Amino acid sequence: MLVKPKKIRSQAYAESIINTIREPLLALDQDLRVVSVSRSFYDFFKVKPEETIGQLIYDLGNKQWNIPKLRELLETILPLQATFDNYEVEHDFATIGRHTMLLNARQTQGELGKEQVILLAIEDITERKEIEHGLEKARKELEVAKLSEDESREYAESIINTIREPLIALDQDLRVVSVSRSFYDFFKVKPGETVGQLIYDLGNKQWDIPKLRELLETILPLQATFENYEVEHDFATIGRRTMLLNARQIQRVLGKEQIILLAIEDITDRRKIEIGLEKAHEELEELAAELKHAAQVKSEFLANMSHELRTPLNSINGFSEVLHDETFGPLNAKQKQYVNNVLTSGKHLLLLINQILDMAKLEAEKMKLSLTKLPMKNLLFEFSSLVADMVSKRKLQFSLEIAEDLPDIEADELKVKEILYNLLSNAVKFTPEGGKIGMRAKKTDFGIEIAVWDSGIGIAPENMEKIFEGFFRVDTPYSRVTEGTGLGLPLARKLVELHGGELSVESKGLNKGTLACFTLPVISESSIKKGGINNEQENPGH
Amino acid sequence: MSKKILVIDDNENNLMLEKDLLEIAGFEVFEAGNATSGIVIAMKEKPDIIVMDVRLPDMRGSEAAKILRQNKDTSDIPIVFVTASVLSEEKDNFQAISNSGFIGKPINTRTFAQEISQLIK
Repeated sequence: MLVKPKKIRSQAYAESIINTIREPLLALDQDLRVVSVSRSFYDFFKVKPEETIGQLIYDLGNKQWNIPKLRELLETILPLQATFDNYEVEHDFATIGRHTMLLNARQTQGELGKEQVILLAIEDITERKEIEHGLEKARKELEVAKLSEDESREYAESIINTIREPLIALDQDLRVVSVSRSFYDFFKVKPGETVGQLIYDLGNKQWDIPKLRELLETILPLQATFENYEVEHDFATIGRRTMLLNARQIQRVLGKEQIILLAIEDITDRRKIEIGLEKAHEELEELAAELKHAAQVKSEFLANMSHELRTPLNSINGFSEVLHDETFGPLNAKQKQYVNNVLTSGKHLLLLINQILDMAKLEAEKMKLSLTKLPMKNLLFEFSSLVADMVSKRKLQFSLEIAEDLPDIEADELKVKEILYNLLSNAVKFTPEGGKIGMRAKKTDFGIEIAVWDSGIGIAPENMEKIFEGFFRVDTPYSRVTEGTGLGLPLARKLVELHGGELSVESKGLNKGTLACFTLPVISESSIKKGGINNEQENPGH
Repeated sequence: MSKKILVIDDNENNLMLEKDLLEIAGFEVFEAGNATSGIVIAMKEKPDIIVMDVRLPDMRGSEAAKILRQNKDTSDIPIVFVTASVLSEEKDNFQAISNSGFIGKPINTRTFAQEISQLIK
């Protein structure tokens, strides 16, 4: 009768202990099923009571606890020993990651009856292990550092002598203790006149540099290390030098006195290059500004020139056209021929002005395309009827082949017509009477390809490059020199390129005909810009 | 009754050419060599259309057009700019002016008068 309350009390006492201790604790029955666990167990392993109590320990948390070393402890060691302390287990838990634990196990008698209870305390020593590991590493490093003094000095000196930069070691009185080989080489001094000297007295007091004094006497005592202290000095032996000084005040291995290590980096050449670069950069910027200004002046000049030239041309072409049309009365044959010559020359001059201006605009990248959808098949048919007049005058045969699947493209209509006109008028100009010319158009992967060919005088290989230079004209017995400007082909190529296409010219040689071929993409690369009212006679084809 | 037209151009040759072409086409032509006298004539004669050079000695064509637009007698008269200029900024200036058109120099003598006629309401 009295036993029961006692049992309850002692069980509650046991449980309060279990719940107070920081370390996770598990109580198992003989079958290794969980009887009770501490609150910290739930916290630490992130499990819930309902998935814990009554379970086989190995099945806990989705069998995460099925650890071979734990099995060994519970099934083999514990039955023999009844207690076991500090049994180390390392395990990868799916929920909380890799942990190192110390397990302490006790087999105890239950309150009533004979069944035994296994108490399992789990101490997480993951962090402690890490600290121990770090300490071990530090100890090993210390061992390496504890090499004999001779060995370490030899080691230090070999470093000093290996590095490229002059290095100098000074004692507390700023007297030279040792210097690197490169120091002697660089400053052209000898060991006899260096070691034991006050640094300022080196090389006939060349080293008495105010900024060096400042570094060694004022800055270094306060800071112990100093980096990239720039000093410029005129040395009698090696001339003006810019140096970066790196200084360290260090404890000697033995004894208490400090030494100062001074590394000297000669940056004279680097500085020169930097200054040169800066200067070059400034000059480039000035040049770029000048060029920009010049380009602006040039384009303004061309716009003005174009205006000034067109104004008198308006009179020349206008009056001669009215005269030629005999608006105010008939002319005799000679008069009519002369006035026609004036008109032809005036129109030629206008074409030249327009083409030069276009060329300048293209070169200054000021030419803008006004893109519209072009029904290419219609455009080519219409265009060929326009050239029919030129063709029949010279008794040429003209053939037109347009592929059925030729797509429409987005491009600048006036510019496309100008390209076609320039190529076709070249074909007409350079083909003798009775010859053949033609145009082929087909679809490509990216857009369209148009070829203009003729059976004319062709192009000699040595002239192949020149035809794109501008103002180059092949002499021909078939056409008068005044007919062309020598700008048609270069302009056509630039206009094609502005659309994102390519133009090439082929010829098998003199009198073997010419093939001019260009491509245009389905949608041109230039940004779409709406064209305004444009009655201006920019297109020489009209 | 023939249509009245005012031509403003500081180049005497161009002025004569345009006047001759327009007279042949049946217009009654008034002439002015600068913007100021052109504006005075426009207010007095109220022409059916004004043909104007863009670069005039006293002001730009676009400025003259603004003055004409502000006056109620001339605010509705169509204006045709004739210019040898190729600057696109200049073209943008014309486009801002209502009821206006634009012909490039050199003019086509065979179509000039016809192009002008099309711009009269």
